[in-house]
Amino acid sequence: MEPIIVTEDLKKTYRIGKVMVQALRGVNLIVQEGEFVAIVGPSGCGKSTLLHLLGGLTTPTSGKLFIDGNDFGSMSDGERTRFRRHKIGFVFQRFNLLPTLTARQNIRMAQHIQGNGFNPHRFQAIVDMLGLHDKLEQRPYALSGGEQQRVAFARAVICEPKILLADEPTGNLDSENSQVVLDMMRTINRSFRQTILMITHNPEAAAIADRTVRMRDGHIISD
Amino acid sequence: MRVVSKMIVANVLHRPIRTIVSILAVAIEVGMVLLVVGMTNGMLHEGAKRVEGVGADVMVQPPGASFFLGLTVAPMPIKLADRLQEVPHVQAVAPVLLHFNTTNGLNLMYGIDMASFDSVSGGFVYYEGGPLQHPDDILVDDWYAKANKNKLGQTLNLINHDFHVAGIVEHGKGARIFIPIQTMQTLMGAHDKASIFFVKCTDPGYTDDVVDSFESLLPKYQIMPVRQYMSMMTSNSLPALTDFVRAMICVAVGIGFLVIFLGMYTTITERTREIGILKSLGASKTYIVQAILEEAALLGGVGIVAGCIGTILARRLVMIYFPTISVDPLDGAWVLRATLLAIGGTLVGAFYPALRAAQLDPVDALAYE
Repeated sequence: MEPIIVTEDLKKTYRIGKVMVQALRGVNLIVQEGEFVAIVGPSGCGKSTLLHLLGGLTTPTSGKLFIDGNDFGSMSDGERTRFRRHKIGFVFQRFNLLPTLTARQNIRMAQHIQGNGFNPHRFQAIVDMLGLHDKLEQRPYALSGGEQQRVAFARAVICEPKILLADEPTGNLDSENSQVVLDMMRTINRSFRQTILMITHNPEAAAIADRTVRMRDGHIISD
Repeated sequence: MRVVSKMIVANVLHRPIRTIVSILAVAIEVGMVLLVVGMTNGMLHEGAKRVEGVGADVMVQPPGASFFLGLTVAPMPIKLADRLQEVPHVQAVAPVLLHFNTTNGLNLMYGIDMASFDSVSGGFVYYEGGPLQHPDDILVDDWYAKANKNKLGQTLNLINHDFHVAGIVEHGKGARIFIPIQTMQTLMGAHDKASIFFVKCTDPGYTDDVVDSFESLLPKYQIMPVRQYMSMMTSNSLPALTDFVRAMICVAVGIGFLVIFLGMYTTITERTREIGILKSLGASKTYIVQAILEEAALLGGVGIVAGCIGTILARRLVMIYFPTISVDPLDGAWVLRATLLAIGGTLVGAFYPALRAAQLDPVDALAYE
């Protein structure tokens, strides 16, 4: 079966003022559909940059990037946005919920942007799985970190993305909530064969993944 | 309600001061347009109605006089009245000497000959007191008396002269203030002069014949049927007034545009991270531009309603506290124009911030603190 993610000599260079910063220096990575991959490495090694590239939030400086058979390098910004809308879900360390909306509205916003209309069965299934029944009418400021992250997960998977990209999902959580979130990811991965790429500093978090990719200085040093 | 609409409403409610200021700016924009137009048209229409209220069929003014009464004094020999009186179908001729009084606001004063003015106008309706009998007598209309709290018998100093309020009359007969024409002539240094003759025909059907006769008698004089004068008293006939109204509209639209621009620009900066979140969810540039323009349109819509309500209230206040200033009621066509101007200004003001938001780099936006 064709891999869902393929990168070939992927490079990304940022300009910060007059200084060029090489965030990725030739990354080769293949991820099969349904895999749960943890990407670990020290700060500044290029993990987040890789995640942003895989999510189409930014473009590579050079190299090849195929997601679900589509060449990201040849796509316009609009095409990548459309692709992201339908095939990629993001979970962030800081939850990134829209602060003026309730949990329910945050989840529904993803469906609204996708444009396929509200699917009440899918919504109910996700809410049941994440135990969010009594939190749906709360705004983010009234939710704990763990609850906010569960809402963020619900929002990320409500549209059935092909790939779930999680950037330090347990970084802002205590150990108890971290475990809840990790169990949840494991469940989503196993129940729905959801492909997950998770960036983490936490070795315990990485341990629940099928595979751990280690990065340093913009390279993959072990896989 | 769509979830994006809920987000827009929630955003608007999240920053109440910014929202109130934006709504206020649009309301001021709409209110300024409607009030300036209402006051301009109101003053013109009310002035014209008062001239019509004199009851004359024909107005005779000297060559070069402005049809905007009182702007030029341009006196004529008062003896011309006798010649005009001899023309067939002329029932009465009332000579009037005009003066623009600047005490207690801008007001046109009529220096009148009581008998002839009564012949043309059918006489005043006196709320208090009676006609001019002495050189220092003065009549004021009820609106002027109300605005200036004038009482019968009170002394009024106008044109550096003390007058005695002899009567308070019903408004609507040319001016708000009337003094004897001889006194006006003395005060103005215009002995035996008049600025205008109001002529009443034996029958309004003879108006054109009388005008033709007057034109033969007084070539180059400005001779105009009152009905023609009425049709000319619109802002379209006064280019300077039209320019003034346009200038005020530009100022009003400019205020609305700038405040909305600043408000939405601040919003975009404040919500950079939220825009990044929307982008990470796959929101297109069009989606973001549309959401921001919808938010601006919501502010604009509420502002327009507030502006219309504010104009109605302001009109009432003007009528209570400044009874001599006339403001026309809300005119449907102008409400539509003001609405279009406000919506246009709002959307144009919000467009650049919206475009800027749509072009934000999602990675930078998500990292924004």
